[in-house]
Amino acid sequence: MKSYLLATLTVLLACCYIGTVFAADSDAGEMEMLVFPEAYKAMKVGNGGTISGVVKFEGDVPEKKALEITKDKQVCGADEKFDESLVVGEGNALKNTIVYLIDISTGKDFDKDAKVEIDQKGCKFTPHVQIVPVGERLTMLNSDKIMHNVHIFSKINKSVNKAQPKARRKMPLKAVKKAEGPVEVKCDVHGWMSAWISYVPHPYFAVTNEKGEFTLEDVPAGEYKLGYWHEACGTNSKAPVAVTVEAGGTITQNFTLKLK
Amino acid sequence: MRIRTVALLLILFGMFGVLSLTYAQNAPEASEKGKQVYENSCAHCHGTEGRGDGSAAENLLPKPRDFTRGLYKIRSTGTGELPTDQDLFDIITEGMPGSSMPPWDTALSANDRWEVVAYIKTFYDGFKEAETPPKQINLSGKVPYSEQSVETGKALYTELGCVECHGNIGRGDGTSAPDLTDEWGFQSWPANLTQGWNFRGGADTEDIFKRFVGGLAGSAMPAFEGDSFPGFGLTAEESSRMIELDNKDEMTEAEEEESAQLYEKYDAAVDIALNLAEGTELSAEEKQIYDDAMKVVYEKSWHLANYVKSLMPEKRPEPAIGNNVLRSQYIHGELPEMDNAAWETLEARYFPLVGQIVIEPRQFNPTIDAVNVKSYYNDTEVAFLFVWDDRTHTTDETDEETGKTLEDALAVQFPAKVPQGPTAPKPYFLWGGRLPVYLWHWKASAPEQVTELTAKGVNNAEVQEAQGELKAQATYTEGQYKLWVKRALKTEDKKDLQLDPGVFVPIAFSAWDGANGDVDTKRVMTSWYTFVLEPVPSSKRFIYPPVIALLSVGFLFGLRAFVQRRNSEE
Repeated sequence: MKSYLLATLTVLLACCYIGTVFAADSDAGEMEMLVFPEAYKAMKVGNGGTISGVVKFEGDVPEKKALEITKDKQVCGADEKFDESLVVGEGNALKNTIVYLIDISTGKDFDKDAKVEIDQKGCKFTPHVQIVPVGERLTMLNSDKIMHNVHIFSKINKSVNKAQPKARRKMPLKAVKKAEGPVEVKCDVHGWMSAWISYVPHPYFAVTNEKGEFTLEDVPAGEYKLGYWHEACGTNSKAPVAVTVEAGGTITQNFTLKLK
Repeated sequence: MRIRTVALLLILFGMFGVLSLTYAQNAPEASEKGKQVYENSCAHCHGTEGRGDGSAAENLLPKPRDFTRGLYKIRSTGTGELPTDQDLFDIITEGMPGSSMPPWDTALSANDRWEVVAYIKTFYDGFKEAETPPKQINLSGKVPYSEQSVETGKALYTELGCVECHGNIGRGDGTSAPDLTDEWGFQSWPANLTQGWNFRGGADTEDIFKRFVGGLAGSAMPAFEGDSFPGFGLTAEESSRMIELDNKDEMTEAEEEESAQLYEKYDAAVDIALNLAEGTELSAEEKQIYDDAMKVVYEKSWHLANYVKSLMPEKRPEPAIGNNVLRSQYIHGELPEMDNAAWETLEARYFPLVGQIVIEPRQFNPTIDAVNVKSYYNDTEVAFLFVWDDRTHTTDETDEETGKTLEDALAVQFPAKVPQGPTAPKPYFLWGGRLPVYLWHWKASAPEQVTELTAKGVNNAEVQEAQGELKAQATYTEGQYKLWVKRALKTEDKKDLQLDPGVFVPIAFSAWDGANGDVDTKRVMTSWYTFVLEPVPSSKRFIYPPVIALLSVGFLFGLRAFVQRRNSEE
């Protein structure tokens, strides 16, 4: 009787194992996503450390792809626009990379004064990558005085598709409850417009600037996994970098990314 | 026959009423029965796991709904809300016109449809997690249809940017139309607002209002809910003043202050709307501000719905059969040119087009609804005016898959010889076969030219040696083609069809929308219809009736005289 039970248990366990392996395999898209801690608790951080670095691009830099402006040319076509999925600057600096702490569970609170905005100017979203704290409103600006629609392709939260008529200069959007990212933002009226947002549960996220630089400040001392995401280069979610932050210390962690 | 159908429908609807009442608002718990019905009737398109990836899905556009994301286009609820059970039940019952989703009112019992509703909801956890029922759009403030409401709606149509996708007069030909995709990356054409019968969720003013306010989740159609409106929270006058001030290059100090005040009121109302959407309890005062603001934007939305309603005929035109057969009208002298007002006096005949699905490559997802036709003839010639809506003007595009040139086109098909009598065989409807057909082939890249073809099959068409007997003019404006063609009734060319008044001639059409990938047999078409050069009523009608009348009167007088004489003899 006991051996039966044992055998059944073994088979069940094996099934579970195979199940998870297959589930992980079938969902390759997961690897493109950011990884969030299960819970996060904000507290005061005294004498935290800093993680900074530069993200560079490795490989032949593809030629910049000019976007085809198909309408509203007076507003949208004032200057030439390029596809921003890969912006490589001087010295191969890689812009628009998200660098973040994967497994932090306690740390500082969000900077409540920071403006969470994306502008629609010249039929282009600025910035191209934006971090949106969970529970805060993303404000869409319309500097163009033409009709746009804000279409956010969320899958975990409800997707949003809201018109922003020409006279609507500033449109805050309903805050979301769940962490999710990155999520593409598009304008259907001007199909070439594209940006990425991430709804995040903690403030340890940075987006690299033109020089490829990022800084994460006020990190409580401890060991962390450092992750990145880039639209064209993917993530390191499978093998994040381990870093050790000391109280008041600064560590440098650079990344070199290739096209995925 | 028709009465019987109507009676049957009434009885059926009556039954639905009773059955839906017994189920109140909510579908039953998901059951094995629902799964079974789903797998038998729905899974072919929607997939066994509800991902919209059934075996038939590949060929369909719009794609079958993916139920795993909880995104439903046709809802009675606001943006970001799930549909009600009744919404799901109604869509299953009524189907979605203009898509491949058929009505299931006869194929599935109401009971089965409710079971399916319950089962479909299991594909998306949000249904289970939802703590409150979805918020329905309030329809109580409906503004009745009136000229004035339509005018107000028309201004809003431009102001709110509807033209960008739906085009200046609603034919779905806006400048953004060709690039629209849904959230799954599939092409998504904006509705042609003049063809209400193709609206997925119905074309009643209420339906239009709900689609506008709630958006079509997962598609490119955004929601124009509450605070989307510029000046939300302001009165109609205040919001136009705000926009007026916004558009000024320079403001005086007083104007700046006025603008700032308006914006303050506006921002406060938006804040309240967002608080409500995020689940914050509103104070009585805030509730009042919100309700007042919504009243203003909903009134605007009703005007817009009334305007959209005004763009479409009351119902889909009857196809050109029976009483509606295409009759070419005789006129003396020159036939009218394309832009002659004489065409306005004729009523067009409506030839619905369907995708060609007999021969590869097939067209499962037609974008051209129909071709509308008028015709005049005189003693020597006949002229036709063909009108059809096409969202895009495509003259030279290359198909990425096949490398073929894509362009808009129309073909008018006749038998090479008119069949003798109504029972005589006609050529095969798809460009002939054993019996040949005679074709007029027009292409958007050469709008003044119509090529005559003789075909004995869809891949066996020959350009006729003798050309140039046809005159053509064409225009493309606001998402609509107009093609005018003129030909002699009789020609020298033996391969041409010869036309005589009073003879019923089979006629059929093929059309290509280049932007929809139409090329060769991938096209939309009709089967055989009929047209006739309406015979000129003979001038004898002015002679015979009076003569007969005179004779009758004479006969009566004679009879009277005869009877009188006989009576007097007695």
